[in-house]
Amino acid sequence: MYQVEASKALLKPRLWARGASRLKVPRNVVMLGMVSLLTDVSSEMVATVLPMYLVFTLGASPLVFGAIDGTYRGAAAVVQVLSGFSSDRWRRHKEVAGLGYGLSAIGKVALVAAGNTIGGIGAIVAVDRVGKGIRTAPRDALISLSSAKDRLATSFGVHRAMDSVGAMLGPLIAFGILFAAPARFDAVFVVSTLFALLGLAVLFLNVEGKPRRAPRTGTPPRFRAALGLVKDRSFAPLLLAAGGLSLASVSDALIYVGLQRTIDFEPAVFPLLYVMTAVAFMALAIPAGQLADRIGKVPVLLGGHALLLVAYAVLLMTSVGYILLIVCLLALGGYFAATEGVITALAGAVLPESLQASGIGILITVVSLGRLVSSVAFGALWLELGLHEAVTIFAAGLLVAMAIAAPLLLRAQRTPAHG
Amino acid sequence: MDRRSGKILLVLAAVCLVVGGGYVAIAALGPSETTTDARPQATEVLSRTHVMVRAVDPKKPTLNGRVFVVDRGQVRQLPGDIACERVYYAGGEGLCLGVAPSGVDYEATTFDSRMQPQDKITLTGLPSRARVSEDGRYGAMTVFVSGDSYLQSPTAFSTRTTIVEMATGKQIAQLERFDVSKDGKPFDAVDFNFWGVTFAKDPNTFYATLGTGGEHYLVEGNVRDHSMRVLRTGVECPSLSPDNRQIAYKSRIGDSERWRLRVLDVATLKDHPVAEDRSIDDQVEWLDDDTLAYSDGTNVYTVPADGSGEAELLVRDATSPVRLNAGQELPGFAR
Repeated sequence: MYQVEASKALLKPRLWARGASRLKVPRNVVMLGMVSLLTDVSSEMVATVLPMYLVFTLGASPLVFGAIDGTYRGAAAVVQVLSGFSSDRWRRHKEVAGLGYGLSAIGKVALVAAGNTIGGIGAIVAVDRVGKGIRTAPRDALISLSSAKDRLATSFGVHRAMDSVGAMLGPLIAFGILFAAPARFDAVFVVSTLFALLGLAVLFLNVEGKPRRAPRTGTPPRFRAALGLVKDRSFAPLLLAAGGLSLASVSDALIYVGLQRTIDFEPAVFPLLYVMTAVAFMALAIPAGQLADRIGKVPVLLGGHALLLVAYAVLLMTSVGYILLIVCLLALGGYFAATEGVITALAGAVLPESLQASGIGILITVVSLGRLVSSVAFGALWLELGLHEAVTIFAAGLLVAMAIAAPLLLRAQRTPAHG
Repeated sequence: MDRRSGKILLVLAAVCLVVGGGYVAIAALGPSETTTDARPQATEVLSRTHVMVRAVDPKKPTLNGRVFVVDRGQVRQLPGDIACERVYYAGGEGLCLGVAPSGVDYEATTFDSRMQPQDKITLTGLPSRARVSEDGRYGAMTVFVSGDSYLQSPTAFSTRTTIVEMATGKQIAQLERFDVSKDGKPFDAVDFNFWGVTFAKDPNTFYATLGTGGEHYLVEGNVRDHSMRVLRTGVECPSLSPDNRQIAYKSRIGDSERWRLRVLDVATLKDHPVAEDRSIDDQVEWLDDDTLAYSDGTNVYTVPADGSGEAELLVRDATSPVRLNAGQELPGFAR
C-alpha cells in the first residue's frame, strides 16, 4: 500500500505546480523541491533501517557505527564552501548540485551491491555525507536565482516544506516494505535507489540550470572575491548575526534529551517527539516564508528565535504535562520554519548574483560550526552546573544574541553586497 | 516543465514503480523468517550444569532463537512459541527480547514457568541486555536507540534501560530518570547512558553501568528511591554472583570496542582477570559462586571466577546462558 502512496507522490508535480502557481512560486523552485523530496525519501528510508540492518544482518554492535559516522561530519563543512565557490566560478550550479545528488545515488546502489561489511557501510555513509555537503549550497543558490527578490522567503519555505514531506514519507515507506517482507533490507535499498535515481532524473530533466537571475555575462568570480564576502559590509553583519544566534541555539536533539529528563513519559512516546516537530515544521514553513516576504525577513527570523525561547522556558519548568510538551514541540517546529529557509533567503537577497552559492556555502558552514560549538558547550554546562542552569545560561545568551543580531541583520538587509 | 521531459519523467516513474513494486512483491512472497529452528549442542564439560540458553543459527545470528535447557549434557527444547535474541529467567518469571513477528520492530515478552507468554512490551530500540531479579519481582532490559545522540548524528547510538514489574509487565522506572550521585555530590550530564543491570538478593538494590564522557562507571542503585551512586570506573555489564559478594564484568581495552572479562570483590572493589583471553561482549552469568558462563555471540563458554584454569566450550550454537536454581520447575525439566 505504501508503494501506491509513493507512486502518488511521484505524480504530484502537477498538483504541486497548481498549488505553487497560487503561491506564485517559480516552477524551478517546485522542481528543486521535488528533487529534494525524492532524495529525502531515499536517504531517510536508509537512515531508518540502517541500525536494524547493521545488527540484524551483520551482527555488529550499533555503537561501532556511531564512531564511523562522527568522523565524516567535519569534512562536509569544508566541502560546502568549495562546492559553493566552484559552482559560482563555472556558472554550473545545476551540474555541481547534480554531482552531490549523484554521489548519494551511487551510495544507495553501492548498498544494494556491497553493503555487507562494516567498512563498506562506513564508506557509503561517508560518500552520502560528502554528497550532501556538495549539493546544498549550489541548490540553494539555484532556488535563490530562480526567485524574484521579494519572493525569496516563500520560495525557500516551499522548498523546505517539500523537503520535509520527503523526510516523513521515507520512514513510512521503509517500514511498509519491511512489514510486507520482514527482514528484507535489500528491498528497502532497491526502492531507495529508485527514489534517488528519480530525484536525479527530475534535476536533469526539469530543473533549469540558468534561471532568470543567474549571471550570464561578466568575468567569473575569483576565489578571493568569495573569501572577501566574510568582510563584505552587508554580508559580514549577516554572518556575524547568524553565527551568534547559532551559538546560543540548543540543537533539537539535546532539547529532546532534556525533555526526557523533565517529563515522565512512556519510552515509546520518544520517537513521536521528532515526528511532531517535523509535522509542525512542514506545516509552518510556507506560511512563515510568506510572512517574511510580507513583513520582512528580519522580524520573522527574530520571532522564530523567540519561539526557541518558549521551548527553553518549557525545559525550565519543574513539572511538565503533555500540553506543555506539545507547546514545546510546536514552538520548536515553528522555530525551524521561521529560521531555516528565511536566513538563506536573507542571504540570497543580500548576496550579489555572481556569488550566491559561495555566500550560502559560507553561511551554512558558519551556522553548522556554531551549532557544533553550542552542542559541546551545552553538554559541558549541563555536566558542570546541571540542566536547568545550562538552559538558563543559553536563554540569556539567546536574548543577548538576538539583541545584537537585530541591528546587524537590519544593516545587512539595507545595503546589498558587492562581489 | 516542457511536455517532452514531462513525458520522459512519467515513463521513468512508471518503470521505477514496476521495478520497485515488483521487487518488493517478490520479496514479500519469498520466505522471510524472524525465527530460527536451530538447536544447540551440549558438551560434557560440567556434568552438573543446569542452564537455560537461547539457540543461535551461526549463519543468521540475529534471528530469534528457541529456548532450550541444558541438563547434564542433555539438550531439551522448552515447549511453547517463545523465541528471542536475549533471554533471562529467575524466580518463575522469564524475560525474552527479540524481533516482533512483524519484523519491523522489537518487543519484550514476559513468560511464566510453563513457558506461556504473559505480557508484551514494545521496545524503542534494538535488544541489548535482559535480567530478572532472583525472586522474579523485577526485570531489567537495555535497548540501543538511535537519534538522540550528543552531536545529533542520526546514526549514532545511545542506550535506554527500563525496570519492569514482572508480575504485571508494567514498566515502573527508567534509569535515565534516576538521580545519580558521585563522591556524595549530584552528578548529571547530557550524554548519560545506562546499561547492563544486575539485581541483588534484595531486588530493590541493583548494579549497572553508567557511560558518560568516555568513562564507564559501576553504579549501585535503588529501584524504590530512584537513586544511584557511582562506585568506581572501568566496569561494564556487571553481574553479581549468587552470594552477592563478587561482580563479574567486562573491562574495556583502552577506547576500543574490545573487552576482557574480570571479577571484582564488592566489599573492597579490587579486581582480577579471568583465564578467558579473547575479547567478550556479553553480560556474564554465574553458574555458581565460583564459575562464570558467557557467550562470544555463537557459543557458550565457561571459566573459573578466581582466575585459574582455562575457558572451555559449554554449549555450541547458543547465547544468553541463564543459571537455573534448585527448585525452579520448568516443563520437562525438574531438578
